[in-house]
Amino acid sequence: MMKFARRFFARPTAVFGFAVFVAIVAIALSAPLIFARGPFSIVGMPLLPPGAPGLFAGSDVLGRDMVVGLAYGARISLLVGITSTLCAVGIGILLGATAGYYGGLVDDLLMRFTEFFQIIPSFVLLMVLVAFMQPSLASTVIGIALVTWPQVARVVRGEFLSLRSREFVEAARVLGMRDARIIFTQILPNALPPIVAVSSMMVGSAILTESALAFLGLGDPNLLSWGSMIEGSRSAMWVAWWTTVLPGLSIMVTVLALNFVGDGLNEALNPRRRR
Amino acid sequence: MAEPLVSIRDLTVSLPQGADRPLAVETVSLDVGRNEIVCIVGESGSGKSVTAHAIMGLLPRGVTATGGQILFGGADLLREAPEALRKRRGRDMAMIFQDPMAALNPVVCIGKQVTEQIRTHRAISEHQALNQAGELLGQMGLKDVAGLLKAYPHQLSGGQRQRVMIAMALSLSPQLLIADEPTTALDVTTQAQILKLIERIQAEREMSVLLITHDFGVVADMADRVAVMRHGHILESGTTSAVLGNPSHSYTRALIAAVPHGESALPPSPGVRPLVEVRGLTKRFRRGGLFSRGAVTTAVDDVSLTLSRGETLGIVGESGSGKSTLARCVIRLLDPDAGEVLLDGADIAHMKAGRLRPLRRRIQMVFQDPFSSLNPRQTVGDIITAGPRIYGEAPKQAHSRAAEMLELVGLNPQVMDRLPHEFSGGQRQRIGLARALMLKPDVLIADEPVSALDVTVQAQVLKLLDDVRMQMNLAMLFITHDMRVAAQVCHRVMVMRHGKVVESGPTRDIFAAPSDDYTKALLAAIPGRRQAI
Amino acid sequence: MKLRYIAARLIKTVLVAIAVVVLSFFLIRLAPGDVATVMAGQSGFADEAFIKNLRAEYGLDQPLPVQFWKYASAVAQGDLGTSYVRRQKVTAIILERLPNTLLLDAFALVVAAAGGIWLGMVAARKPGSAGDSAVTVLSMLFYAVPQFWLGMMMVLVFAVWLAWLPPFGIETMGAEYTGLARLGDIAQHIILPGMTLALYFLASYARLTRTAMIEMADQDFVKTARAKGISERQVARRHILRNALLPLVTYAGLQASILVGGSVLVENVFSWPGIGTLAYEAVKARDNPVLLGIFIVTALLVSLFNLITDIAYSVADPRVELG
Repeated sequence: MMKFARRFFARPTAVFGFAVFVAIVAIALSAPLIFARGPFSIVGMPLLPPGAPGLFAGSDVLGRDMVVGLAYGARISLLVGITSTLCAVGIGILLGATAGYYGGLVDDLLMRFTEFFQIIPSFVLLMVLVAFMQPSLASTVIGIALVTWPQVARVVRGEFLSLRSREFVEAARVLGMRDARIIFTQILPNALPPIVAVSSMMVGSAILTESALAFLGLGDPNLLSWGSMIEGSRSAMWVAWWTTVLPGLSIMVTVLALNFVGDGLNEALNPRRRR
Repeated sequence: MAEPLVSIRDLTVSLPQGADRPLAVETVSLDVGRNEIVCIVGESGSGKSVTAHAIMGLLPRGVTATGGQILFGGADLLREAPEALRKRRGRDMAMIFQDPMAALNPVVCIGKQVTEQIRTHRAISEHQALNQAGELLGQMGLKDVAGLLKAYPHQLSGGQRQRVMIAMALSLSPQLLIADEPTTALDVTTQAQILKLIERIQAEREMSVLLITHDFGVVADMADRVAVMRHGHILESGTTSAVLGNPSHSYTRALIAAVPHGESALPPSPGVRPLVEVRGLTKRFRRGGLFSRGAVTTAVDDVSLTLSRGETLGIVGESGSGKSTLARCVIRLLDPDAGEVLLDGADIAHMKAGRLRPLRRRIQMVFQDPFSSLNPRQTVGDIITAGPRIYGEAPKQAHSRAAEMLELVGLNPQVMDRLPHEFSGGQRQRIGLARALMLKPDVLIADEPVSALDVTVQAQVLKLLDDVRMQMNLAMLFITHDMRVAAQVCHRVMVMRHGKVVESGPTRDIFAAPSDDYTKALLAAIPGRRQAI
Repeated sequence: MKLRYIAARLIKTVLVAIAVVVLSFFLIRLAPGDVATVMAGQSGFADEAFIKNLRAEYGLDQPLPVQFWKYASAVAQGDLGTSYVRRQKVTAIILERLPNTLLLDAFALVVAAAGGIWLGMVAARKPGSAGDSAVTVLSMLFYAVPQFWLGMMMVLVFAVWLAWLPPFGIETMGAEYTGLARLGDIAQHIILPGMTLALYFLASYARLTRTAMIEMADQDFVKTARAKGISERQVARRHILRNALLPLVTYAGLQASILVGGSVLVENVFSWPGIGTLAYEAVKARDNPVLLGIFIVTALLVSLFNLITDIAYSVADPRVELG
């Protein structure tokens, strides 16, 4: 574990990513405590520039404090990013492992199904799913999980397919080990590094997807997210750059930090194979 | 003696930081004279390959020659400008590698790869170069040259590919040919042909050959002079007959002694009631999917055998002979299509998984690849106690038995908390053997258990296998491609080709008087037969 | 051999299209609410009779299997139905929008492939160097930036502040250019959305090229090439790059659905009249025939595109045989 941490923090980008991630989590958790009045309360004139009295990041089209909006937006981004990825990874591991280990019909069905997802434009499908379930936090999370799990399933399937014919797995079968035990004690621990790497990247892309949905007006109308902040200030972009630039930068920094963490995890879990 | 073509003086090559040692090669001196074959022999990590690459100026990134000289016809290659050295490569000296499949560009046709070499150094047209290339391939004993020139590497056999590599290397008549383990990746019979080819062209062209090998048999057959390397040093060098006949260094003696002799030491086993009986075993593989008609290959075709307690039956064959598939069917890692596998009279070939499981402990296996046969994320203790724990043995008891077992296979019982990557290849094979023996099996299947190991380690592991067979009265099925290894440990051998058994019988008889042509070819291909070592 | 393979693949494509028709039809119909409720909501007087009339007009009052049968038999004859909202043939609407999307895609792909491969090669030349790190960080940045926001920033910088390029649309409204002047006008309009779309793919291509080049440089055949005395430049071009490009072909195939489906976001930000904006409008209005049509057309195009990349791959890599 110590060795793993040392390898992870050996990369400056991973250190940066981890620090930013921790900071954003802290902001997200403490937002309701610091800004108890909530993100929708109006505090002053609309479109005040950053640095105006009491408004560190200015105000938006309705005269709401941008700082409060950004802090509350972090909650939505992280919540959607993490929960939808957890759902997708859960489904993906279950189906991918079954398909990869047993092959046969399950595998054929899964492959056809993931092919379907490759052929249908997934963002259009996601829009349809979310719009028809009625835009809400839950529909966003479910929708993202539904269109992204095949990605995980493919990775897991590939790993299981190659690991199941490794000699140490054959050895376990020769010893008389049951399939479930082989899957969980022999194969899964060895398949985890790529799964972790893919999932950590998925959190970032789920955050991007959530912001895109909110930008298109398909987010939860009762919540303020970074995407909906940009959507709400689209018309003001020409005169008040901060209303669009700041939420966008927040998304970018968050996703960048997560991708750096993912990269670091990937490197730390996969030291160059030494023979 | 005339001035040598290549003269290596005090060559020192450093490894990048973080490698297991600072120097790959330390103050090595070696001459390669004109019109002679010099062998560098050594095990993995000896620095033999690095020395060869240093001559070509092809050391990998981070590995650099830091001292000494490499004189080629009087000029020091280490001090030559990169551009001048580049022009020498292919023209004055050429090199062939271990695995010809990897060494040829997979997406460029053979003709283009050969002409590329010619046209890099000579200003001639593609058409002329192609003619030369065809001529060269013909000289290498290749048939249908016109077709070969248009073919891609994956369409050729291993032997053809290595011949193409040699043709390419010779295309500009270099004075020196460096061959880095040129036969290690090839089948046994092909190995012998390639070695003969190298010997023939060397004699015809009166060129110098530097041959890198781990096999003293190859040295005995090929070399005029030999240098023995270990840990980056040359331990001794001299004419082949002097080194083989009167080795001065103890390591050389160990290396020579470790080469299995092509003669059987073991008497045939006494005929007792067989423990395992295989009858008419057949396994087919289907390829293809929904829309293409699958091609069927019969990997194992109607094979029968018997195996008794205390005896070792060797299954010998080249790649694709079906020997490994046969072993995997006997142990039910694969389900055979037809035939029976009787263990004490019970047919396990078609038994349902549930009924089979309790019987599994009676047949265990030792695998080929020491690097993939142990779960990299489990400790040695967990790995070898997994079997007993499946059958309900108390963890404490399993643990103490594991300690005894580690001692039996020659390892310190204290290694139990370590992970597999901390061990060498030979040690890992011992761990794999301990795992199999923990279940007190009646039958042990060993699938090429020593083919990935260095020669001296091979000898130790083979001895260990033979010892435990005697001690535990095991019936052992020993899969190998190496006739010499089979001769050393097997009471009886079965020779397989294309899924069929071509010949079987007591090892001694088969080695003394093989009846089948293929068996004869296999035996003739054993290196080191011409000159006794 | 090749013809038989292509025929088999085309049959498979049709099967896939049928699967897409069935799956998307029921997926969309199973959702609560339909075009009638949306229209009723918009018109403001949502009485029962109005909704009932609308449903009858669109055939939504019939049992689902009947609706499906009617739809499927029409699709089999090449008729994708009529848009609820525009009251035009779906086929006509899609055909009008598709060229715009394909034009944008082609521009983005060419920029992304050329730029990405070049950057990847530069980075792979000296792994770990400053140039390599710069390329890596840059591609991470392009991965992390929200595409719609990047588009808005492009507009803000290049159209608003610098006023170099037009901010939206495919051509200047009301200018009525013809011939070369029109082409020039479109070229000006495509730069901002095209670059926005390209940067994400450019990052992927750069990363993929870099990884593949570094991996290929360690292969034995590269050592063979050096042993032949070939110059480093030729080694990189003829041996390393040739093999490193193979995974990029596969990647291009995987990108097809994203591209043909139109980038909803980029088209939305730049008001580009393509499939993406069409899909967005259709989702908002519950214009199911248009949505289904988009799914079917993209599925067919993507399958076709995949067939082409597979053939391209088999040409580029002789080890792969079609069939």
